[in-house]
Amino acid sequence: MTPVIAVMVWCDPGLRSRRCMRDLTAGIEEEGVPYHLESGTGGSVELAYAAAQASGLGVGVGVDADGNVCVHHAKLPSDMPAVTGPASAARIIGHNAARLVVGVPLKQPDL
Amino acid sequence: MSLVVGVDIGNSTTEACVADVGESGQMAYLSAALGRTSGVKGTVDNVTGVADVVGRALSAAGRDLSEVSAVLVNEATPVISGLAMETITETVITESTMIGHNPETPGGVGLGVGTTVAFTDLPGCPSGCDVICVAGVGADFEDVAAGINGAVARGVRVVGAIVHADDANLIVNRLRTPVPVVDEVTLVDRVPLSMPAAVEVAEPGRTIRTLSNSYGIATVFGLDPEQTRMIAPVARSLVGNRSAVVIRTPTGDITGRRIPAGALTLIGEQAKRQVDVDAGADEIMATLRRVRPLTDAAGESGTHVGGMLARVRDTMADLTAMPYDAVRIQDVLAVDTFVPQRVTGGLAGEFALENAVALAAMVRTSKGPMELLAERLHERLGSDVLIGGVEADMALLGALTTPGTAKPVAILDLGGGSTDAAMAMEDADVHSVHLAGAGDLVTNLIDSELGLESREAAEEIKKFPLAKAESFFHIRLEDGTARFFDDPLPADAFARVVVLADGGMRPIRTRHSVERIRQVRRSAKQRVFVVNALRALEQVAPGGDIRRIGFVVVLGGSALDFEIPDMIAEAVAGFGIVCGTGNVRGTEGPRNAVATGLVAGYAAALGTSVEGR
Repeated sequence: MTPVIAVMVWCDPGLRSRRCMRDLTAGIEEEGVPYHLESGTGGSVELAYAAAQASGLGVGVGVDADGNVCVHHAKLPSDMPAVTGPASAARIIGHNAARLVVGVPLKQPDL
Repeated sequence: MSLVVGVDIGNSTTEACVADVGESGQMAYLSAALGRTSGVKGTVDNVTGVADVVGRALSAAGRDLSEVSAVLVNEATPVISGLAMETITETVITESTMIGHNPETPGGVGLGVGTTVAFTDLPGCPSGCDVICVAGVGADFEDVAAGINGAVARGVRVVGAIVHADDANLIVNRLRTPVPVVDEVTLVDRVPLSMPAAVEVAEPGRTIRTLSNSYGIATVFGLDPEQTRMIAPVARSLVGNRSAVVIRTPTGDITGRRIPAGALTLIGEQAKRQVDVDAGADEIMATLRRVRPLTDAAGESGTHVGGMLARVRDTMADLTAMPYDAVRIQDVLAVDTFVPQRVTGGLAGEFALENAVALAAMVRTSKGPMELLAERLHERLGSDVLIGGVEADMALLGALTTPGTAKPVAILDLGGGSTDAAMAMEDADVHSVHLAGAGDLVTNLIDSELGLESREAAEEIKKFPLAKAESFFHIRLEDGTARFFDDPLPADAFARVVVLADGGMRPIRTRHSVERIRQVRRSAKQRVFVVNALRALEQVAPGGDIRRIGFVVVLGGSALDFEIPDMIAEAVAGFGIVCGTGNVRGTEGPRNAVATGLVAGYAAALGTSVEGR
């Protein structure tokens, strides 16, 4: 059964890099927030928005086939995601997805 | 009818007031304007600023410079203040013994005591020993967790871990037996190995209990009373943390030492007294009270306070082109403060709150080159330039245009560099004082106490109320009310404390809570403005009795602050006097008092000369 109280992480099955998903989920886990992985096809923003709508916490993450990562919030307009970034920033983006739920200031890259 | 312009050249702002004055002294105020003072008050550099403000005031009144019959300028005595801050305590870790930083997400719960061992050396550890694992740069959380699990399976008791990356929860989640883990230790490579150490992580919502207690550390490491005395500053600096590490190195030593800040010599008209700066602000101010009126102050040479006063003197001498020896310090305000300072020898960028004393010193130089300034203004503007009246007298005249005021009246002029007060009895002479410490000192206190390292941020915190961005669509203001937005807030403001500046919302880069920042802001204003307001009123009041004042009109830029006037009103409420923010001419608020006073004074003089004819 799909857990409701979780950050929804929707990932395009075409994604090769396993590193990207590992970093992303590590970031969410370190902040102590539950997450749930599912696959779906599409662009990262589109996936993230749909994931956010499905998440009981209102936060979704989308990862496209090229490893672009996007964090969305259910209440934001669909074309205005909260955070976006490349696969190399997946760890910090994971932290920030979780922080949107926890309500603490986002991590800044290179800090 | 003749058109006159009153011009007040202040420390930071120049103000003008345009009025039509009739032959028998009747007058009609037309307009006012305000701009930045160019250069140091009372010097020829002021011309540009004055010309600009006069021009704007005239165009607001729809009049031309050629119609002006006289420009009235106040007798501007340069009053300059200097600021300095010295820490009087210091925490030095001579050998790395403590990691007192507060990562946002430490892992596990409890206290672990064992010997520090590098993660790579873990497989070589004999079973049965108590170990604190130290994982350096680049160690992967899965490897670390697997390594610790493996060691534990062999009988090595791994009781805690210190790691470089933000990995504590990831590691703890993968351990068969969770242990306390402190992460984000930037200089993990400098953690001494093979040394007894303790790692403590508190439950969420709590703070550590053992390592923040001197006897707790003594118990863990079996310290004797002398060693416990040495470790006390460590415990003190760990109070309030959610996690901490203390490592005991044989020669390691943390000292909380008092820096000899030196003695301050206060020279009064009758007496001369010395006070140690590290005795604190109260003691310094009490000593000042005993020698008042102050004619000069000096610091012990070769000490912090000596250097500090020398700097103030230097700045003054430079600005006013006066000989160094002629600069006399005429007031000092000492304020107790604390400064977060990077602990020397810390491993994770730890800060310790050190006590400090902030000193503001005020120098009133001899009368500036007013004649020269008037001449230059005449060349620039073409009209007659008259130097009229002492500033304090003019400010009082201007203040009395506030509806509901009457003599005996005192004004409190809260500026950026100094707090000035003047008092007029029914007929008696005007008595005025200039005190060190005003808006700039408040900004400094906010900046240093919050460790912002940005004067602009501190200035904004001083001026505007705070709020916290609670979601993408609403903020909660410091008084608890919520405000909603149609457009989502930027992600970098999310969950942050923001100031509601005129130019929009500005996130503050700090981990301090709204409550903490508010408390620092209000207490800085209390320590400077409320203290100075009482000090100033006491000095100008007849017989030093504030009760005999009657009306107090608060003026100046800082009177526009959203909370300072209320704080002062509250502080003087007990004296049974009327105190409020001025409203010059019933329209200008706490601004334009001196410029208005100049015009009023000019008109009054015309009136009396007509009568006398």
